[in-house]
Amino acid sequence: MRSPQFSSFVILIVLLVVFGVADSNFLSPLNISNMMAFLPELGIIALGMTLLLTAGEFDLSVGAVFGLAPVVVMLLVQNAGVDIGVALLAGLLLCIVIGAINGVIVTKIGISSFLVTLSMLLIVRGAALYITQGFPLKSWDQPGFFVTLLAGSFNVGSFRFYTSLWWFIGLSLLAVYVLRYAKLGNWISAIGSNRNAAVARGVPADAVKIWLFILTSVLAGLAGMISAFRISAASPVAGTGYELEVIAMVVVGGTALTGGRGTILGTIVGALMLRAIRNGIVLVGVPGLAYNIFVGVIILAMLILHALLQKNAARS
Amino acid sequence: MMQEVLRLQNLQKSFGSVRALKSASLTLKEGEVVALLGDNGAGKSTLIKAISGVFPIDRGDIYVRGEKVSIRSTREAMDLGIETIHQDTSLAPDLSIARNLFLGREPVNLKWLGVLAPLDLAKLRNAASALLKRVGISKKLDADALVSTLSGGERQSIAISRAMQFAAKVIILDEPTNNLGVEETHGVLRFVKEMREAGHSVLLITHNIHHVFEVADRIIVMRRGEIVAEQTVADTDLLTVESLITGADLSALMKRAQ
Ligand SMILES: Nc1ncnc2c1ncn2[C@@H]1O[C@H](COP(=O)(O)OP(=O)(O)O)[C@@H](O)[C@H]1O
Ligand SMILES: [Mg+2]
Repeated sequence: MRSPQFSSFVILIVLLVVFGVADSNFLSPLNISNMMAFLPELGIIALGMTLLLTAGEFDLSVGAVFGLAPVVVMLLVQNAGVDIGVALLAGLLLCIVIGAINGVIVTKIGISSFLVTLSMLLIVRGAALYITQGFPLKSWDQPGFFVTLLAGSFNVGSFRFYTSLWWFIGLSLLAVYVLRYAKLGNWISAIGSNRNAAVARGVPADAVKIWLFILTSVLAGLAGMISAFRISAASPVAGTGYELEVIAMVVVGGTALTGGRGTILGTIVGALMLRAIRNGIVLVGVPGLAYNIFVGVIILAMLILHALLQKNAARS
Repeated sequence: MMQEVLRLQNLQKSFGSVRALKSASLTLKEGEVVALLGDNGAGKSTLIKAISGVFPIDRGDIYVRGEKVSIRSTREAMDLGIETIHQDTSLAPDLSIARNLFLGREPVNLKWLGVLAPLDLAKLRNAASALLKRVGISKKLDADALVSTLSGGERQSIAISRAMQFAAKVIILDEPTNNLGVEETHGVLRFVKEMREAGHSVLLITHNIHHVFEVADRIIVMRRGEIVAEQTVADTDLLTVESLITGADLSALMKRAQ
């Protein structure tokens, strides 16, 4: 039980208890509902990022894609009169293209994913700002199939949950299955652990990586659409800084930044933890401008803990 | 008469302006251990990477059991019965022994699911344990242990047993005893002998000439991208082989010194 996801889980429980004791509102139905509304949006991206990191790459353009995808969808609907379903499909197609470009440049030209996706972040964010002239768009808010599908809500007792929670749960289960039990998961871990070894065994490493870049991009776009539908607004600056928050969730959960070792359960714990921290420190009265100090300190503490645990495991 | 398993004819390979392989021809027979010798940069690794599908050759022909083949990927080489243990480690340290043994050829259920098919974990484990038992390292090693927890020699044993399991016709070892301790080195050499007895053909690259005389039947020497000599072990001696590798006539030097 020295596994990184387990120690993260223990810390999560400690945090929940501390925040719960410090402020009785923290565990109130309203606050929990609030946290659960935000959680899936970053959590869904974190699932893709976990698989990508396990294969030894990462994607800094997810926050920008989160912003661009819904903006493109709404522009198509509002300015070009495209049907909402078709527009959503076009938005996802755009994400596929962005992910494929990232993947192909990283694998076939051999530039590090840091540089490629950093450039892509600028391109995508720039595109979102340019096509909207910097103004947020009103998002689709007529009730209907797609709103229910992406941002519908339902009550359980005094809790109010969004359908996005189902998306997160479903995609989490799928990701656990793929990474742990499927042939593909074996390949992903092997590629991140020792790419040459995987290739020597006939594993199509480049193709796997390209598909993971596409998946991560699509999940980022999907999360952006969910968010835009939930708040009925598509902002070109939505998702700014999410790339780092998502990577923090993933590594706090115990996935190795260097590849080879990934854990979806850890990522779920990490996503819950960062959500609880962001929410909890507001409630306990940390001044708004000081949030990031606390978030940073807690992330750093988690990473130090993982490193120490791993050192111990290696010694024994 | 022993049957020919692998024949290479005038293989050529350049990296930009570097002619790593100028023209290499060799034959490997059934149940034969051939040692491939040569200084660093002679082109040994390039030659075996070409055979194992790591990169395509520029020119030349490859025959497997007399039939001309083209090897365009590592998968095609494996399917032809050519298993390679590369110089740079061929295992993924973060995966278990069992998962490494079957990497790229995982036993699965529901095959129609393609890459999303679930691993047959029971079969994976059992086959891995059986294999470890067969190569005589089951006492020490658990099939679920991570490769990162193993010693260099244990890793080499795993890589070698992986090559044995798919009934490979040709097993290629690129400097398998580098960085190994005395005991581990003997383990590797024992494997090579066992494989020959089981009828596999082995192409062994090494810098240790003593090992060559211990396990090899035939010696092939490369220098600057070309095969410069070929001798049966029974008909040669250490000094001759050393001078063939360096290109200097050592025996003449020795005589002059006397
Ligand atoms: N991927 C590569 N790109 C460029 N040059 C290479 C590559 N691989 C090998 N070489 C060059 O080819 C020559 C032969 O190398 P190699 O086959 O590794 O030699 P050996 O294994 O006999 O020590 C060397 O000059 C080496 O620098
Ligand atoms: Mg070499």
